[in-house]
Amino acid sequence: MAADVHKKKSWEVPNGSLAPGDGQHTERSESPTPGLAQGTEPGAGQEGAMFVHTRSYEDLTSPEDGAAAARSPEERRGEPAEQSSMEQISKDFSELSTQLTGMALDLDEEMRAGKEGKLEPSPQTARRDSVLSGKEEEDVTMDAWRSHRKHVFVLSEAGKPVYSRYGSEEALSSTMGVMMALVSFLEAEKNAIRSIHADGYKVVFVRRSPLVLVAVARTRQSEQEIAHELLYIYYQILSLLTWTQLNHIFQQKQNYDLRRLLAGSERITDNLLDLMAHDPSFLMGAVRCLPLAASVRDAVSSSLQQAKAKSLVFSILLSGNQLVSLVRKKDQFLHPIDLHLLFNLISSSSSFREGEAWTPICLPKFNSSGFFHAHISYLEQEMDLCLLLVSTDREDFFTVSDCKRRFQERLRRRGVQHALHEALRTPFYSVAQVGIPDLRHFIYKSKSSGLFTSPEIEAPYVQEEEKERLLGLYQYLHSRAHNSSRPLKNIYFTGPRENLLAWVTNAFELYVCYSPLGTKAGAINAVNKLMKWIRKEEDRLFILTPQTY
Amino acid sequence: MSGRRVDAKVVLLGQEGVGKSSLVERCAHGRFRAGPYQNTIGAAFVAKVMTVGDQTVTLGIWDTAGSERYEAMSRIYYRGARAAVVCYDLTDSGSFQRAKFWVNELQNCEEGCRIYLCGTKSDLLEEDRRKRGVDFHDVQDYADEIKADLFETSSKTGQSVDELFQKVAEDYVNFSAFQVMTEDKGVNLSQRNSPYFYSCCHH
Repeated sequence: MAADVHKKKSWEVPNGSLAPGDGQHTERSESPTPGLAQGTEPGAGQEGAMFVHTRSYEDLTSPEDGAAAARSPEERRGEPAEQSSMEQISKDFSELSTQLTGMALDLDEEMRAGKEGKLEPSPQTARRDSVLSGKEEEDVTMDAWRSHRKHVFVLSEAGKPVYSRYGSEEALSSTMGVMMALVSFLEAEKNAIRSIHADGYKVVFVRRSPLVLVAVARTRQSEQEIAHELLYIYYQILSLLTWTQLNHIFQQKQNYDLRRLLAGSERITDNLLDLMAHDPSFLMGAVRCLPLAASVRDAVSSSLQQAKAKSLVFSILLSGNQLVSLVRKKDQFLHPIDLHLLFNLISSSSSFREGEAWTPICLPKFNSSGFFHAHISYLEQEMDLCLLLVSTDREDFFTVSDCKRRFQERLRRRGVQHALHEALRTPFYSVAQVGIPDLRHFIYKSKSSGLFTSPEIEAPYVQEEEKERLLGLYQYLHSRAHNSSRPLKNIYFTGPRENLLAWVTNAFELYVCYSPLGTKAGAINAVNKLMKWIRKEEDRLFILTPQTY
Repeated sequence: MSGRRVDAKVVLLGQEGVGKSSLVERCAHGRFRAGPYQNTIGAAFVAKVMTVGDQTVTLGIWDTAGSERYEAMSRIYYRGARAAVVCYDLTDSGSFQRAKFWVNELQNCEEGCRIYLCGTKSDLLEEDRRKRGVDFHDVQDYADEIKADLFETSSKTGQSVDELFQKVAEDYVNFSAFQVMTEDKGVNLSQRNSPYFYSCCHH
């Protein structure tokens, strides 16, 4: 059941429109602001993109029916290009009513309410460390269980539990039965349940036959974003089983207990949920690169490119959850969601530290019907540099393993190992490097390359709750900007503890966090300066020249 | 294959959590990691050089995942294996039933594969004899019946681990004259692309 790299699903549309054509962005202007067409923004690839081209967040979240992809070109044509000029932006900001500031107050109240009282146990203590003996599950009748900020449940259409983030699935079988009853009740009326909002909770349902995914959250995320996270969980399950196998199983036996097949994968799903609460990659639908001098990155990429084999589709070098280099087969694009799943797989298991792993893996956004085989290994002990070679041929282990050896040999010959080690020592940069006093943090995403950059989160966001609060604010701005009924291009948000700005254009998305003492005018000036800085540093922060075999 | 020459393919099979990865860790690195249980994803490959008399033998050890999810494709890991170490947990009789399943699988699909039964976690029995869930004599009888060797090991203390892999290497050396011939035939028939691949790897 090897994945067929040539057979693409209809929603992936012909290759031409997956990534911007090469000629499109030969003219890279010095200043980032005037006429930023997609493909010329800072961080845009110079020789085409690496990823399946997703123009917007909606592309990522929409069901795989191709509706969004088909719709977006028209939308783009309709939008005036001069929108992104700086003057226009400042005007937009000053015209922006104080309505949002008013809302911010409500939001803050909501947040305070959320913070009060309930001190959750740290996720580690609740974590089941084993599927076998010694598994400590939470008692689902206790208050501690109820007070978790986000529960996630997966069940089969027969109402059988498949996964629960907290507590054992058995203990929750009646709860899951009720969930399935709710879903079926509305479906009997030819209707579908999407969410329930009550008592500060959002209960969000995602239906992906033969599975039902439910989140019970009291975070401030929008329903859309919670559904997006549930989809990630669904894709995570597909990546282990494939869509074909999943459906086949339930066609054979409707009340199959899927936990048998998923045994041992709870840790991967748990890790994915934790990662989504901390890492903006998932919110942005984009990938972050390890900051690295362009010459070093190019040397690494060429070494990867030369260590090829017939069956290889993707060669990926990563560190932490950051991308170092990605080389792909010509005309094959990876989807950011698939890459996130790979990142999660690697970060959730220490078992790859030993030897060389060879594992079947489905990349559901690429092709949900078959398995690739991935060769996963760390380049050196004690060094956080993981090489992932994705092959179509499950018999090809030794050939692929030899690619790794050749890659390491080339790396040695080019003498870039030292520079690579150095870069790994400082995997994040400080926002102070930008040189804007009021600037605390930012997220900048180049839409055409599917890459984003973001400095380390520093003081005052030191504690975990503070970091999550900052991500929560970004999530809020993101959901306002991408609200399907009333999307916003510019948002200036004034809060008691920080001011934030969001700016979404055809070409990029920018979210900036300032100290609360600054002014709106100051913030807009800073954006200009920040964009110039990103342009200046782009060859270090992004992969501008992606390679193919 | 270029780069790394492996003489004998050895595969570890058995129910999840019986300690296959710990056994490999002990054999290859002489370590034991206490930490939380981490299940293997897919399979992990480790090459281990052994000395038998004045010969060296490189064992290519495949540590497979015990999870049922990977069962359907476990064949790619044990195909062509010279030796299979079928593991069970000495304190868990269910895991021995699972070991029998793997033995049947091997007998049906891999006739040329020698079987080594390995009862793991023997240190737990040192602490408390009543913990034993699998009777030694029962397994001994079963091992005789299927012509397998039997070891009871502890990856924590290292007991019998080296002996097990040493025996695997010795048996390989002692039986290899016969097996090389069968392998050559096997490779030519089954790997249709292999000459093509080798030629492009060597240039």
